[in-house]
Amino acid sequence: MNSLIRDSLDHCVKCTICETYCPVSQVTPLFPGPKYIGPQAERYRGAGPPADSSVDYCSGCGICTQVCPHDVKIAEINSRARAKLWEKRGVPLRNQMIARPTVIGRLGTPVAPLANWALHNRAVRGLVQSVVGIHRDAPMPSFAGRTFQSRARRHRGPAGAPAVVYFHGCGTNYYEPLVGEMVVAVLEHNGFRVIVPPQDCCGLPLQSNGNFPAARTYVRRLVDRLVPHARAGLPIVSNSTSCGLMLKREAHEILGIEDDDLKLVSESMYDLCEFLLHLHDRGELRTDFMSLPMTVPYHAPCQQRGHGIGKPALDLLALVPDLHMIELDVDCCGIAGTYGLKKEKYEISMAVGERLFKEVTATGSDLAACDSETCRWQITHGTGVKSVHPIELLYRAYGLDRRTRAGSVSPELQTARVSG
Amino acid sequence: MSYDTVVVGAGLAGLTAALRLSERGQRVLVVARGVGATHLAPATVDVLGYLGDTQVASPAASVPVLISSSPNHPYAHVPAEQLETSLEWFCTKTAALGYAGNLDENLLLPTALGVPKPSALAPRSMSGGDLRAGGRFVFVGLKGFKDFHPTLIADNLNHARLPNPIEARALELVPPSSRRGDLSGRVIAGGFDTEDLIDWLAGALEDRVDPDERIGVPAVLGLRSGDATWQELEKRLQRKVFEVATLPPSVPGIRLSDVLSSALRTAGARIVLGVRAVGARAKGGRIEAVEVVNATGTVSYPVSSVVLASGGFASGGLELDSFGATRETVFGLPLIGLPNTDRVRFAPHYFDAQPLATAGVATDDQLRPVDASGSPVYENLHAAGAILGGATPWKEKSGTGTSVATGYAAAEAILTPAPTPVSEAVR
Amino acid sequence: MATQNPSLSSLEADVLVIGGGSTGAGVARDAALRGFSTILVERRDLADGTTGRFHGLLHSGGRYAVKDPSAARECIAENRILRVTAADCVEDTGGLFVSTPWDDPEYGDQFLEGCRATGVPAEEIPVAEALRREPRVNPGIRRAFLVPDAALDPWKLVWGCARSAEEHGARILPYHRVLDLEVDGERVVGAHVRSERGGEEFRIHATVVINAAGAWAGQIAELAHCTVNVRAGMGLMIAMNHRLVHMCVNRCKRPADGDILLPLRTACVIGTTDVFVPDPDQTEIRQDDIDLLLDEGEKLVPGFRQARALHAWAGVRPLFEDTAKVAETRDVTRSHALLDHSSREGVAGFLTITGGKTTTFRLMAEAAVDAACEQLGGLRPCTTAQVPLAGSESHTLYQISHRLAAREPVPQSEEIICECELITRSGLEDTIKQRDTTSLDDIRRLLRLAMGPCQGGFCIYRAAGILHQGGQVDQAGANQTLLDFLEERWKGVHPILHGDQLRQARLDDWIFQGILDVEHLPV
Repeated sequence: MNSLIRDSLDHCVKCTICETYCPVSQVTPLFPGPKYIGPQAERYRGAGPPADSSVDYCSGCGICTQVCPHDVKIAEINSRARAKLWEKRGVPLRNQMIARPTVIGRLGTPVAPLANWALHNRAVRGLVQSVVGIHRDAPMPSFAGRTFQSRARRHRGPAGAPAVVYFHGCGTNYYEPLVGEMVVAVLEHNGFRVIVPPQDCCGLPLQSNGNFPAARTYVRRLVDRLVPHARAGLPIVSNSTSCGLMLKREAHEILGIEDDDLKLVSESMYDLCEFLLHLHDRGELRTDFMSLPMTVPYHAPCQQRGHGIGKPALDLLALVPDLHMIELDVDCCGIAGTYGLKKEKYEISMAVGERLFKEVTATGSDLAACDSETCRWQITHGTGVKSVHPIELLYRAYGLDRRTRAGSVSPELQTARVSG
Repeated sequence: MSYDTVVVGAGLAGLTAALRLSERGQRVLVVARGVGATHLAPATVDVLGYLGDTQVASPAASVPVLISSSPNHPYAHVPAEQLETSLEWFCTKTAALGYAGNLDENLLLPTALGVPKPSALAPRSMSGGDLRAGGRFVFVGLKGFKDFHPTLIADNLNHARLPNPIEARALELVPPSSRRGDLSGRVIAGGFDTEDLIDWLAGALEDRVDPDERIGVPAVLGLRSGDATWQELEKRLQRKVFEVATLPPSVPGIRLSDVLSSALRTAGARIVLGVRAVGARAKGGRIEAVEVVNATGTVSYPVSSVVLASGGFASGGLELDSFGATRETVFGLPLIGLPNTDRVRFAPHYFDAQPLATAGVATDDQLRPVDASGSPVYENLHAAGAILGGATPWKEKSGTGTSVATGYAAAEAILTPAPTPVSEAVR
Repeated sequence: MATQNPSLSSLEADVLVIGGGSTGAGVARDAALRGFSTILVERRDLADGTTGRFHGLLHSGGRYAVKDPSAARECIAENRILRVTAADCVEDTGGLFVSTPWDDPEYGDQFLEGCRATGVPAEEIPVAEALRREPRVNPGIRRAFLVPDAALDPWKLVWGCARSAEEHGARILPYHRVLDLEVDGERVVGAHVRSERGGEEFRIHATVVINAAGAWAGQIAELAHCTVNVRAGMGLMIAMNHRLVHMCVNRCKRPADGDILLPLRTACVIGTTDVFVPDPDQTEIRQDDIDLLLDEGEKLVPGFRQARALHAWAGVRPLFEDTAKVAETRDVTRSHALLDHSSREGVAGFLTITGGKTTTFRLMAEAAVDAACEQLGGLRPCTTAQVPLAGSESHTLYQISHRLAAREPVPQSEEIICECELITRSGLEDTIKQRDTTSLDDIRRLLRLAMGPCQGGFCIYRAAGILHQGGQVDQAGANQTLLDFLEERWKGVHPILHGDQLRQARLDDWIFQGILDVEHLPV
């Protein structure tokens, strides 16, 4: 796999299409563009230490690979070059920290109110910026105080129903457990029993911060948790499009893990909306939706588009009466996982996201929809508009808020329903 | 999700076919490895620029001559009136960019080397460069933008053979200081979108250009609001301004692709990039589903019709291996224009006639790929654009014209299928 | 043989060197360093003959350790010297000899023994280690050996010698063709020369004329009625788009066709073949030879035929033989030959240095200048084994990442004209001025312009525009330069055009014909 990624540079005909789409090189001269850093510079990378630190400004959004007409694995080449760079330099403390959401999660959850206060306190953030290098204004989510895992343990699903496995990811677990509850509720509404195995981080932040050995360890650990279910022929769904892509593809292509277990897990992995849409294609999706008269802009995250499945969220939400989704045609919100948290990259990240922010704001809507949690936090940060996972709209449309504890999560939705 | 038609390829031919089908009510999925060659080509619609060595003044007159001497040419399979209809349709779909022109007279637009090149349609931000009427021109370069050499353009134009005399000169401007020393067309266009570069450019030009001079600038005048920047500039300068196409990336081409994609989305079509169509599941001479590889593996999309618009060698729609074998890379279709020898021997001089120049898929008059006996390979598979054999579009300057005409014709063939005889000979 | 034409102007020198390859440039440098006034003439560009067309292997001697021990000894000695004196031209890639499934593993023992006997450092390493270093090498190899092969940049080397010679007063004259040698009685006194670019003809008088014309040495010697039996052995080379290997990888067997794959700057090269050609200027590339190299490449690196072949070219190696013909040129000695024509044919003032290989160029040059000293008033010491070339004073070996590192921290702080090979606008403009040339091909040899994957698709237009803007050429000249370069590039591309490179060539057609319409330039 190492070879296949590097050797894909042979397909590059220097057409410049990737550069045209790169959101980072458009806003900063510090990043010369994916064609330069990827297939072009790779010819200059020998066995010795990497010479170009500008590779670190690649945000890893992956748009370049998606738009390349010639099958060059540009983002993957960049990712590996970055890893070699950090392998030589040593990954700094800040990157080690933000690359381990489970560690942060475990530390912050028991002291959530204090941690949340600190994270939103300007003085503390100023200190964090100078000492650790996380930008004072970077969008940091709030700890929920109780993990999704802890709630899931107490939940009993319908016995005897066909099972589906839920890979919830760190974002849901520590920051948005209510989203996890909605996912379970929607799946159960459609007749599934949801298995929530004990699970940890998929390693994506470690990978994007260039710590490949640690990332591989995380992947293997997670795969060990999931593979018994994959072997039993169960589908695995993920509501985080970036984590889902990690297991579908990136762990193999970027980290180079050649593993039958990983392969089985990849083949069993579905994005949540992808899974629900398949159900609909087979006539098995419940369509007892209530009217949801709203206009909501939808942003498909870069890594959602990397799945190559179209935009199933839009196809599903088209089934909800009176709901009008606006398909935004903007490439990147700028956060790129942990990229936009970094003090030297925050402004780049906000410049990248500016067009998306403008388009969201221009719709006049109080709500936006997006499948990736970090993107949602960025959109809210850049626009002030509340952002939800598409599942939340389905959840409300099914009327499930009336029946479970997760009802009060989005006051905007409540307002919409009341005003009917 | 089920689709009526899957279009393979997101270039001009693919987007044309998809849009025509979508606006007539079909549910269309466009799958592509990546973005199409719209982003590389000058964005004019070139129907026919050269017949052999002779420059074509009127495609309406010359296309029939071409067809009679090249019965395998893609235009030969487009129903007679559809060539014109497709261009008219194209103009309405791209009204935001003001495409204009007709089949009776080619425009003559300067290339970035200063060569007059025939085109049938041009967007209004470019058509002001039409050289046929003669006159005075000034070409403007931007320091730091290496893909535009106004002095060479002007010099070459002054030596060109033109219907009416012209007088061309050059100017070089220094854009406002930026941290970049190496500007790409895309970055400059972005600058026009977000900053006051219009103020700067208008200010820099107004005292240095005579009222009767037309101003040729590189094709970098903004991206996000179509050709609004060009309009603004003309208004401020009160002179004709025109964009000159240069090396990729083609900003006017990106505008064109954006307009068509946006129209597709509005019409309910879905475009998925970064995936690869790898074949079909077929039964009884009909394709039942198109197989596409995405992040997980292979997915099957059941369909009623398929349009193959995967491009030629440059796009990977055709491939030549190291043993000398040529193949069509999605469905493995039979090809015409292959050499008789078992190895491909390219001619030693660059401008010689080269083998494989006309290689591609042959079709019937419904744009369906046919085999050697002239029978459609699949009843419901159509092809459009550079995948079609029988032409050397870069030489005869017919690439974008072929894409629009055959994309449109393929869609029409799907929408109103003609009764199919048992076997169809290729004319 | 020409009688002296009094109307021609003339130059004078102690030493006239004919031939601007590594041998000639090395001789000019050595002579100049020894204080002799020196002129070098070369009918084309420097290093445009054999030196610029080989694969760049700086031999450790391992390849000759079994078959040609004296050559092996010479190689390892010169290898060590050049790593110090020409450090900037040498990349320490290291070398690997591998026994593929097609090679007799026992040859490895002979190989080790031959290396030991000739002083070539060689070490057997575990196959797993070899594959770790070179993941694309055939996993079926059975033995692997490390040797100190390195990759040499022949243009840098030759131009480095030329500049060094100029610094010591020499005149280096590329694009000057020797029309005839001037003979006075039984002595060669100089040459009648024509400038290929300007057209002017003149004479050069020299005490000693050194014929370093490589595969063409026989043609030059004939002008003085001397015989130098040099056979031209044509060798085909294919450059692959990127480094499939980072070390010089050799098949561990008796030397044969296509058994070397090594890095050549950003590309890697598979070589080579060996076909006798009667005329060193007629080197037509045959499809069979292409297939042979691709097949041999596939043995060394599985998947070679799917990798991107960039460019193919043929060089001719000069093989000197003093006796009757042999059937296969490969068996003719590769050691050099120094011919003093005063003792051979009674023609004084004329020496030929021929044969050999670029690795031992310095040694050959030393031998030639030592011999010339006899006719120049006595032996002066040779210092080329100690004095570094310009650019190599710090003895820092070349790194492939150099051009990439030079662009940091803001890579696009200035215009990059050739993006594949990272050539900046200022670099291009400086070179144009230095070489005082308007030929993009001359510039290509110095900078590697258009030698990357796009083979000029993007940079040819830019470079022609810059030449025109700088006033070096007028509009017609700029057009012609562009068209010439397109034609020149095509020569090396069309023999191996398939796969990804055909895709590129077609895109380039769209750019040059579809977008720029070069075919209808006013010429």
